[in-house]
Order: sequence, then C-alpha cells, then structure tokens
Amino acid sequence: MIGRFEAIGIVAALLLLCVFLTLSVDTFATSYNMTVVIRQASFVGIIALCQTLVLLIGGIDLSVGAGAGLSAIFGALLLTSLGVHPYLVIPLTCMFGFALGTINGALVAYARLNPFIVTLASWEIFAGATLVITQGNPIRPLGPVFGWFGKGDIFGIPVPVLIFILLAIILAFVLNRTRFGRNIYAIGGNRPAAVLVGIPVKRIEMLVFGLSGMLAALAGILYASRLDSGQPSVGEGWLMPAITASIIGGVSLRGGQGTISGTVAGALLMAVLGNGIVLLNISGYWQRVIVGVVVLVAILIDLLRRKR
Amino acid sequence: MLVSQLEVRNVSKAFGSVVALRDVSLTAKAGEVHAVIGENGAGKSTLMNIICGNHSVSSGEIRVNGRTVRFGSPMEAQHAGIAIAPQEILLAPALSVAENVMLGRQLASGGVVSWKATRTEAIKHLQALDPDIDPDARAGDVTVAQQQLVQIARATATGARLLIFDEPTAALTLKESARLFDFIKRFRGEGGLILYISHRLGEILELSDRITVLRDGRFVTELDPARTSKDEMIQAMAGREVADLDLRHQIPAKITDEIVLKVEGLSRRDEFDNISFDLKRGEILAIGGLIGSGRSEMARCLFGDRPRDAGRVEVFGKVENFSAPADAIRAGLVYLPEERKHDGIFPQLSVAENIAMPNLGVFANWTGISWLKVVGAAEEYIRSIPIKANSPHQLISNLSGGNQQKAILSRWLMSHCRILILDEPTRGIDVNAKREIQKLLRELAQGGLSVVYISSELQEIIDVSDRVVLMHEGKVRGIVPTEGATQESLLAVAMS
Repeated sequence: MIGRFEAIGIVAALLLLCVFLTLSVDTFATSYNMTVVIRQASFVGIIALCQTLVLLIGGIDLSVGAGAGLSAIFGALLLTSLGVHPYLVIPLTCMFGFALGTINGALVAYARLNPFIVTLASWEIFAGATLVITQGNPIRPLGPVFGWFGKGDIFGIPVPVLIFILLAIILAFVLNRTRFGRNIYAIGGNRPAAVLVGIPVKRIEMLVFGLSGMLAALAGILYASRLDSGQPSVGEGWLMPAITASIIGGVSLRGGQGTISGTVAGALLMAVLGNGIVLLNISGYWQRVIVGVVVLVAILIDLLRRKR
Repeated sequence: MLVSQLEVRNVSKAFGSVVALRDVSLTAKAGEVHAVIGENGAGKSTLMNIICGNHSVSSGEIRVNGRTVRFGSPMEAQHAGIAIAPQEILLAPALSVAENVMLGRQLASGGVVSWKATRTEAIKHLQALDPDIDPDARAGDVTVAQQQLVQIARATATGARLLIFDEPTAALTLKESARLFDFIKRFRGEGGLILYISHRLGEILELSDRITVLRDGRFVTELDPARTSKDEMIQAMAGREVADLDLRHQIPAKITDEIVLKVEGLSRRDEFDNISFDLKRGEILAIGGLIGSGRSEMARCLFGDRPRDAGRVEVFGKVENFSAPADAIRAGLVYLPEERKHDGIFPQLSVAENIAMPNLGVFANWTGISWLKVVGAAEEYIRSIPIKANSPHQLISNLSGGNQQKAILSRWLMSHCRILILDEPTRGIDVNAKREIQKLLRELAQGGLSVVYISSELQEIIDVSDRVVLMHEGKVRGIVPTEGATQESLLAVAMS
C-alpha cells in the first residue's frame, strides 16, 4: 500500500553519489550536465517503468530493448515512407508496441509459456526484424517537427523528462489506487490465490505485457526523435539498466512487491552512475563491468530484504 | 539397530515466534504401540519430525536406549533405527514404486545400482503390506491409498526398529487398514516400537498399548486404552467437555426447505464421478471421506476453477455452468481453498488488503480506491470476528495460521456471499481459532448462509455439520444426517 517508502535507501545512495561527483569533478553540477543526466535517465526510466510493471505481475520482459528498437523503426518508416503526420506517429508507434507486447502476453498468459523464454525469443525476433527491415542502415531524416519530442524542451525541461514524469505519476496512481493496479500486485504475490478470488488473471497478464511493449515503443520513438534518425541500434543495451533500476528501486524478482517511486530513484541512480563514469574519464568499456556488479549488489540486497 | 527405549525429555520447539511444543515428555519401550493423539495444531507432527531427525529441538533432549541423541538429519535418525511414514505423500511420482521404496538406499555394488536386487528387496517389503501393488508401476499413477502404503514400505525397508506412523489410515480402506494393523501387531511382537498418530479414536483403542495426549503443544496426560473411553480422549484433547464441543446442538440450525445448491451427476474424468447432492438454505453440509476421494477437485469444479465433463448445477434455482471463479463469486458462491499459504493469502500484502481484495470495486470511484474506507471496513471484521492482528496494515504472513484463515474468511463475508464452500478450513490451526471459526460458521448458517464444509476429521463433521456427503474414490457413497452418527458409522457408509 502507499506509504511504504522503501526507496529511502536508494535515495540516500543517489544523494551520496551526487555529492561525491560534485566534489570530484566540476563538470558534474552544471545545468548542462544535469540536463544530460535527466534526459538520459528518462529513456532508461521509461523502460524501467515497463520492466517494473512486468516484474510486479511476476514475469519478466527481456524484449523491452529490442521492442523499443523495432517500434522506433516502425515509427520512422511511418514518417519517412508513408508521410504520416509527426503528431500521429507517436500514438501509432505506441499501438504497434502494444501489439508486440500483447503477443508476448498472450503466449505467457494463455499458452502458459515461461516469460523468460518467450521474451528471450521475442528479443531475438524483434532485433532480427529490425536489421532485416533496415538492412543495418538508419532511416532518416525525421524532420524538425518530429525532432521536438526528443530534443525540445518546455520551460527548460526536456520533453522526454516531462513525459517520463507524467508516466511515473500515472502509473503510480494506477498501481496504488485502481483495481487494475491492485490486481497486478495480487497476481504477482500469489497467482493461484488471485485466480480463486475471481481476478481475471490471464487478461491482466496479457495487458501488462502489452503495456510494457507500448511504453517501450514510446521510449524508442522518443530516442529516435532525439537522434533524428531511426537507428537500428535503438534499444540496444537498455535491458540491463532497466532491470537493475527496478531491482535497486525495490521491485522483487518474485513479483508482487515494488513501487514506482523506487524505480524512478533507481533509474536516476543508474543514469548518474553512467554519467559519472564518463565524467571521471573511466573507460567506457568498464561501464558494462560496473553495471554488472551493481546488478549483483542489487539482487543481493533484494535477497536480504526478503529474508528480513 | 535395536531401539529398546525412547525417551522424550522436556522437549520444546519454537519456529521463530511460534511455539509448537512446550516442555513435552514421553517414554516408549520396545514391543509397544504408543499412540499420540491431539487436535490439529497440538504439536503431534512436530514432535514426530523431531524424533525422526527432520527438526532440531529448541530445548530438552531425546534419548535412545538411554543415550542422548541429536539428529542432524533424517539419515542420522535412520542409522539409529528410526524411520517415519509421513502424513503427506512424499514420493517421487515419476519413479517406480519399487524405486520409491528403496529411495536413497538402492542396492549397489561399486557405485553402480543393481536394479534386480533393488526390486527384489522392495517387493519383500511391499508384500508385507499389500501384495496387490505393482512394483513397476509409476508411483504417481497408483491410488493415494497405495501411495501411502508405499511410503510405509519405504520406512520399513530402512530396517528401522522404531517406526513412526503419521495418520497412516487417512487414505486406506477398512481392508487395507486391517492389513496394516496385522503388520503393526507382528512388528510389535518382534520387539519393534511404534509411535502412532491418528484421529480415529476407535483405531487407537484397538491397537495401542499407551496413549499420550497433546494439546496446544503441551503434554496433557497419558491414558490406558484398556481403561479409557472415546469421550475421555476427546475431552483430554480438546480441554473441554464433550457436550461443549457439540456446536450443532449449542447453535441449532435454522434450515429451510429452499434448495440453494443442487448438484446432479457432476463428473470429471479420473477425479470424481456422478456426484449428486442438495444444499438447503441455512444448512452446513459436510463432505467427508478419505484423503484422495476427490472432494477438493469436485469443489473446485463447482466453483468454476476447472471445467466439468458432465453434470448439472443449479444455484438458487438457476442452472449455472461457471467458466471462471469470477462468475461463481458474482452468483454468490465462494470457495476457500485447502492450502491457505499456496492458494489463499497474498503474503506480501497487509491484512486489510487481503480482506478487501475481491471487493475493491466497492471502495473505488473515479478518483481511485479510497484506502481509508478499505482500512475502515477491514477493521470492522478484525474487531468482530475477532482477528488477532496488531493493526490492519500488518503483513498477513506475520499472523498465525488461524488468524490468516479468519482473514480469508472475512474476505468472503465482506463480499456478501450466500453459499460458502470451505475446504479443510480448520486444518493446521490452533484449537481455539478452530473453535472460533466453527462457532462463527454455525452462527452464519443460523443467519441464512449455506455452507459446504469439506473435512477429513470425522469428529469435526459430527460436531459442526447437519448432514454429511460421504465420498470415496471419487464417488458418493452416502448422504446421512449427523444426528446420532459416530466416526465408525460414517466410515462404514464411506466404505460401503
């Protein structure tokens, strides 16, 4: 229920990290750098929100990154080949992402296939499809009107950040104050009990995967807008930070536990970490090692938290 | 190894903050059948688990043949000559019966298993119990009764001289039980020691040499089967007068002629066949029978959790074929599952949320769920039932089994259900909570609620329900009123 602020630990870690970086490197605490950080955080954050939803219901979605990429290409094609109006592209891309996610969801909920395996397979399929369609080449240009979504700002705050914040608020409301949201916690906490209590488990499972796909598509198309091209590499490397952000934020891998506020804090932490690595001139190659270590630490924390 | 004497001295056992055994002592000698009786939650299984090496003691000691022992595992207990045939079926279902009998002790030379020798050895022990079991059959495919016998054979095959039987006849027919008793008498004659747990008081009187009574984790008294009576045993187990337990007379039923639930010919392949019965308004109808008789499966099918193969169900006069639990709930029919932890509670959520879960619609409007109202409603039930919880926000997994069960029951009461199907509602909860739940159900029935009460404890059925449907091996064997019934008369009907 609301009120359980388990994210206090991560917020503390986040503040510590920010203090450390501010003192170590004078380029950290500049408004320019902050903008970069939160803009980066918002892309990872939206994907982390997807993953949080799926983790809460007791599943996992390994295809979020690849789904974001494929959806981004779809959107880019709508824009360049079909000449669809830029304002329509985003909702249409989201619907495409929703459809992709629903396929995952149907296989998990109705065919009762293991979500790990299903989304592992769809990850490969989506990534492969992206390459097939683009033949490895970026789709460009996407135009200045469309570019505003990824590059523009309102009162100095980047648009992607505003979208991330809005999504976080909406999802937090849904999870805490709607039946749909509470049912997600119920299913993740004890699926057989949820069935016996009359919750339409299969329908909700499928919907959650659909939502995950939809949000991933949103992140993908926003990123493409920022790059001003439909890069086939969009979404690559987004999965691990998203899972890590969720786990650090208190989402349990077993399902049924976790909050949006926690995930937001986790996403910020991951973004600041990545930013710090660059600013401290640590080789980018080390980033993967560091992220991996942080994942391990996060899982251990999750284990200890559950034992208590 | 010969076990000539077993001493349990002042043993206490706590699991976290839950105290299962408090300062229990007993002595048993070779050539004796020592029965341990007590209600659910009295600590019998815990005590047996300690003796056979599954659990450690929190304080006190166990002595075998005069020497203190501390078993770190069941294997060590086996080396000391102690083995258990547990209550639940714990077999490897994909392996053969013979392999299960010799599980972990397959005959081998140089690390390579000799299947022929293993099978022969297994057959030797199986024959003593039931010559009809096929040693090569897949363990998961034989009947529950046979599975129970396979477990017993597995215990005897260890060569143990102290055998612990935990509810061995719960799934056996009279004939199979009789054969088991012959085995036990022979074993005793050869100088073996038997610890025997059972709810069947008649059985205990016939078979045992001494009876230890446990209640709420404590030793109450030792009885002599030659001199005691069933009433005395019941009184010692419950701590109350037998008349006190007879809730059916204390809270008399107000049964009308209206048939709220009519089941005709309900069948599901391999689970149950041609089940028919009526439930009247205000009635508590028990469904009794041996374990494995298909009662839970039938209840779930009624509830819409699984599809039926044949049959007709009328709820409040309307023909229904529920395709999902949600439909049954909408029609006013609810189900409380057997396994509370597995299918009942949402362990990571609070008590209030567990109570409110299927009813959230009542507390929601366009601005979302009003948690204030939810907690308020939950507090009502916590106060009135009562449910022992520190606050409605407490995690439900921190409550005792009995209080968890009350919370789940409240969930359905909040939904204004009219037919309640309960599957072993008092299993694994302490005596007091059990009484409270039983009393509550009788009061609810008096108020017009209709209850289907699945239970394996025949005495409970007699005390709490008005009529009982007796099932065995998936079929209805008889529907009798509980007035004037005894455990034996009900068993006889079930096995007919």
